[in-house]
Amino acid sequence: MKTLYQHQFDSIDGLAQRLAAVDYIASREIATSVYLGFNLEKPILVEGPAGVGKTELAKGMAEILDVPLIRMQCYEGLDESKALYEWKYGKQLLYTQLLKDKLGEMMQGAVGLAASIERLHAHDDLFFSEHFLEPRPLYQALHQERGCVLLIDEVDKSDPEFEAFLLEVLSDFQVSVPELGTIKAKVKPIVFLTSNNTREMSDALKRRCLHLHIPFPEAKLERRILERRVPGLSATLNRELVAFIQAVRQMDLKKQPSVSETIDWAKTLLLLHAEHLSLDMVKGTLNVFLKFEQDIASASEQLPALLQQARKDAEIPRASHA
Amino acid sequence: MQATLEDFFKALRGSDLEISLNAQVDAARAVELVGWRDRTLLKSALGTTLAKTTTDRALYDEAFDRFFRFSSFENMAAQGSPAKPSSKPDANPASDAMAAQDLPDPAQDKQTAPGSGGPGGCQGSGGQALSQLLLSGDSAALAKRMQEAAREVGLTDIWFFTQKGYYTQKIQQAMGLELLDREISDTKRQTLAPERARELERVRKKLFVEVRNFVERKLALYGTAPTRQLHDDFLQSQKLSNIEKRDFARMHVIVSKIAKRLADRHSRRKKKRVRGQLDFRKTLRKNAAYDGVMFETFWRSKVVDRPRVVAICDVSGSVRQYARFLLLFLHSLGEQVSDLRSFAFTNHLVEVSDTFESLPVEQAVDKVMQAVGGSGTDYGQTLLDIEAQLLDDIDRRTTVLILGDARNNRGQAHAEVMQLLYQRARRVIWLNPEPVSFWGLGDSEMKRYAPYCHIARECNSLAHLESTLDALLRTHSASA
Repeated sequence: MKTLYQHQFDSIDGLAQRLAAVDYIASREIATSVYLGFNLEKPILVEGPAGVGKTELAKGMAEILDVPLIRMQCYEGLDESKALYEWKYGKQLLYTQLLKDKLGEMMQGAVGLAASIERLHAHDDLFFSEHFLEPRPLYQALHQERGCVLLIDEVDKSDPEFEAFLLEVLSDFQVSVPELGTIKAKVKPIVFLTSNNTREMSDALKRRCLHLHIPFPEAKLERRILERRVPGLSATLNRELVAFIQAVRQMDLKKQPSVSETIDWAKTLLLLHAEHLSLDMVKGTLNVFLKFEQDIASASEQLPALLQQARKDAEIPRASHA
Repeated sequence: MQATLEDFFKALRGSDLEISLNAQVDAARAVELVGWRDRTLLKSALGTTLAKTTTDRALYDEAFDRFFRFSSFENMAAQGSPAKPSSKPDANPASDAMAAQDLPDPAQDKQTAPGSGGPGGCQGSGGQALSQLLLSGDSAALAKRMQEAAREVGLTDIWFFTQKGYYTQKIQQAMGLELLDREISDTKRQTLAPERARELERVRKKLFVEVRNFVERKLALYGTAPTRQLHDDFLQSQKLSNIEKRDFARMHVIVSKIAKRLADRHSRRKKKRVRGQLDFRKTLRKNAAYDGVMFETFWRSKVVDRPRVVAICDVSGSVRQYARFLLLFLHSLGEQVSDLRSFAFTNHLVEVSDTFESLPVEQAVDKVMQAVGGSGTDYGQTLLDIEAQLLDDIDRRTTVLILGDARNNRGQAHAEVMQLLYQRARRVIWLNPEPVSFWGLGDSEMKRYAPYCHIARECNSLAHLESTLDALLRTHSASA
């Protein structure tokens, strides 16, 4: 088993640039973690609020490396048969039914039970071969010829039992299948696990991973993200918009707007041909980035103050430029 | 380099971060990859390998800043200002402390040559007289020598503040204090250069202050972990009623740690899937529709069985401290206990489960203690309340956990309710803070209740609580 990825990143900045080229603007912290994870061949456990780009990061990596992204969404009740492999029982049964005649032919001339079974043994593993195996994400990831990016999404939603099962995969990149033996990865996949912290992961799992926490981005980073993701957005609007969102995040909300919501809002404003944030415009589009009724209510109450704050924040750097 | 990294791990332990060996290896490899030059880079690289949760990360950040700031302060000459050791310029944090310390740093070389004025080559420890270094104010060389001296005397093993003087002296000696003292007395005797003698005495004092400050900082970094461990061990074996209020916060941390350990230990055994074993009956039944051809299969699995616990706590003056920690403990177990109802009583039964659901555990405990606590325990009335309110909800899956000293103030015992409980519940566990020899003495009714308990045991320290709850969880998973 060896790493066959075409790209070897020479530096952390180089990695960040490559990520930027596929429209993922990574902070230095993120780039460092990914760089280390790649070079140490360790999975990365990514935590952070929803919508800050945890999943996007894995997608970006897959795109840079030009390998498939295999995604496994975790949920309560997920077990090996859905994560690793399953026998195609239906197919097996169907085939035995269809092949009844053939089986009969094969058995012709065999005298006694022992002889029949002996004949069958000559073809024994036919029905338990890869043709009858339904590969699930983990199995697929281990079988990629050129390696892949394996994204285990929302691992905190899975049961502790499944988490324990993952340990073997994450440390040795291999799994044991009773009928087939141990399957080793052809090329070590690059593994990202994401978690929204609905429950604490076990120490054993954490020990096997590097830890990366992605917070809400700072204003500067968020502006860069918007530049990339929403081309055509004017610089002034970009500034005001980011400052406004940053101000909203300071409020006590049920769900704070994250990067994906900022992008949505920017796209919305672009569609409405907005040049500046105006009171009416913001009021009308609050629901794009605030997802709870109470949040919208409390935000619209403070809207003038927020807008003023945003305009002020957006102006400071411009003054310093001049 | 390795030594510095190990010192840092020690310092992290001082910040209450558990660093596994695995993580240490990763950290070392990460440093190899990114190098020591860029401080922010180093910080995120070590952070991503060492800190495994967001809270850990905050602790780590703080420890990193403390650890590396001190180092860079000591190497101020590397910044380019050959300042006296006592004047403390706020060192540029971006300086790579490690490079100045162990590597022949070009910046440092430049500094030492004109700065010392004497023979060069102060890279080795014995290269230059201490007095010369002090007089020339070559702080980089001084700091380096102090670091070496500290490593020589094993400063990272410092535990108590009482060791400060000892280590200060040791380090000064290792730096060459004796020679300096001899030089001072020689100069004084000659009386040719009183200026020089005075100057030497001045720098000697400064050296002392510097070294002591250094030792103090190191004590803060390394000393907290072992002393806290000692303190924790003490708290765990201490009688719960003797624990002082100031230690409550620490106790909460310990309890949640133990609870997490218990939860970890028992979470794995809950559900065993018996792979490959067909549940034949279920499969046949389901596939009757397909003319008996088995398209859909069902596999055997074991039923998840988590203890259902009813905790009934005496919160009167004599036992409230124990109740506090039992409740804290139970509610920290989280999902390991699927169904937990808690009741508190002094003279009648009050359900407090809601309080625990709505508030963080620590606050909830306080609130319950205030609301229900008091004096004049009445076990008889409480048991009657249990019979009236609770008995219907108790079935053969429920474990009843009672905490109390069974001191009934000479009231009616109503032991018959205990018998009913005993017959209905899966288990009745009575935890009594008093030692067994006290049971039944005075107004204690324990001797009358004990026969109706599956387990009745003395429980007055965290260690007791832990073993009891461990047993509670284990028997459940074993019988699953």
